[in-house]
Amino acid sequence: MSELPPPTLATAAVPIEPLTGMLVVDHVSKFFGSVVAVSDVTFAIDEGVTALLGPNGAGKSTLFRMLCGLTPPSRGAVSVLGADPRNDREVRGRISLVPQQDALFDHLSASDFLELAARGHGVVDHAGAAARALHVVDLADVGAKPVGQFSKGMRQRVKVAAALVNDPEVLILDEPLTGLDPVQRRHMIALFHRLGDEGRCVVVSSHVLDEVARIGSRVLVIAQGRLIARGDYRDLRELMDDRAHRIRVGCSDPRRLAAALVERGVAAGVSVDGHQVMVDTLDADAFGRSIADLAVELGVRLTEVHPLDDDLESVFRYLVEGR
Amino acid sequence: MSVVDRPAARRPVAPTAAVALAYGVVLRQLLGRGRIIGLSALALIAPVSGWALGSADASLDDAVNLVAGIGLGLVLPVVALVFAGASIGDLREDKTLVYLWLRPIDRWPVVVGAALAAVTIAAPITIVPVVVAALLTGAGNGIVAGTLVATIVGLVGYVGVFTLFGVWLKRFIVWGLAYILIWEGFIAQAGAGVARVALRKYTRSILVDRTGADLDLADFPLAVGVIVPVVVAVVALAVASWRLGSQDVD
Repeated sequence: MSELPPPTLATAAVPIEPLTGMLVVDHVSKFFGSVVAVSDVTFAIDEGVTALLGPNGAGKSTLFRMLCGLTPPSRGAVSVLGADPRNDREVRGRISLVPQQDALFDHLSASDFLELAARGHGVVDHAGAAARALHVVDLADVGAKPVGQFSKGMRQRVKVAAALVNDPEVLILDEPLTGLDPVQRRHMIALFHRLGDEGRCVVVSSHVLDEVARIGSRVLVIAQGRLIARGDYRDLRELMDDRAHRIRVGCSDPRRLAAALVERGVAAGVSVDGHQVMVDTLDADAFGRSIADLAVELGVRLTEVHPLDDDLESVFRYLVEGR
Repeated sequence: MSVVDRPAARRPVAPTAAVALAYGVVLRQLLGRGRIIGLSALALIAPVSGWALGSADASLDDAVNLVAGIGLGLVLPVVALVFAGASIGDLREDKTLVYLWLRPIDRWPVVVGAALAAVTIAAPITIVPVVVAALLTGAGNGIVAGTLVATIVGLVGYVGVFTLFGVWLKRFIVWGLAYILIWEGFIAQAGAGVARVALRKYTRSILVDRTGADLDLADFPLAVGVIVPVVVAVVALAVASWRLGSQDVD
């Protein structure tokens, strides 16, 4: 695991700070038969928003399930608000989970679904809590409609609303932005920050790097079940920007464009493949700024400019393997 | 000020409230039209058979055999299996169980609420047609009363056992059918010792006790016939509650 920066080889986690916080994961591993879903993960987080970043299958959902007590760790210990969430009934009332799966009680209206959640938490004014939570996610107008008729984005918002009815101290959201349109994403991310600012521990998972940039500055990066980095998102972004990037450029005259790119120092290396130029550059931003002007100057028609490694997998590869 | 305007005042959820919560959720989940129509059609076999037997002026033993075979041996356990198994099994499989499991409530009220919901739906689909079948055989009041008691007791027993199947087993329908058709329908017929671990023996014993008919593997006194299935249901629900609390939930 690395504190960002720099990237290091993944090794056994060695906590830098003492393990105290609203949410503590202490050398936790989870095995399903011979499959290692989570491997020796250690971290502690407190109030505010923390993003858990990782590709699909990295172990994010398994980690979240352990944080909520839905499955026990095979090794290590999980503590939420100082208690074991699997065995402590009281602490479950102070945690909320927005699960990744789309399943809801489709026959219930949104209001009924939220009231059910509120009653399950022993909320005294369950109808009022449900109405307020629906209002927060902009679904007050459709509260009477069965959730089975909702779009994916609306169902996501219903799940978030259901997680708010008990006024939780710890809020765990597994890919909550999936299916939301850009406006709703912004709205939801702002909501997460308001919840974090109120002193709640908000943990949000995502496999989309740009989402994480907006979700929070505190980032935990998980890949192949291991916590490979943690720190500030800006450090992660700098790491990405500092490494060499490969960009595919489709154009009408690839040889001419390739020669000009090298000559102007925009590309560290080029290769031509049919009507495409593969460009290696250390400064993707400068490349992006100059490619269009250069094409116009050369009279070359651009058909495509596509970064090949600006994705999570390449970030993880870089963090884990340094390449 | 909180995002949701004001913090939610909370108090511990009483077990009765938790039972009611689970009951309401599961009841609505089980009220699928297709499932009810299909099982009602299956249950109609019993009164149709009773009417056919009654028309042929059959003996008491024939009537008791019919009720024990089709009513208590087929309709009752199959209907109980589908509803009781699905009561928590469906929530587990469609991944909505998390919305009950994560609440600060004990596990047993969830299981009891689910089992009560299964009984609520299965009761009219089993008790009415099986008792009507007994009535249509024309074999007297004893068989009607015996069938009523045996069906109610059997329903309680089967719902308890199959609720446990739904909590524990992924393919609860397959395992349940194996229990009904292979264990109770075949293996348990081999002798009195094996039959003791089949609910069917107890419901048959109630029927025989109330009618005096001659039926194999049905020699328990009424009290045993009534008490054992109820105890089995209670134990099964207790195990189901423990299992629900200890298993992984998706």
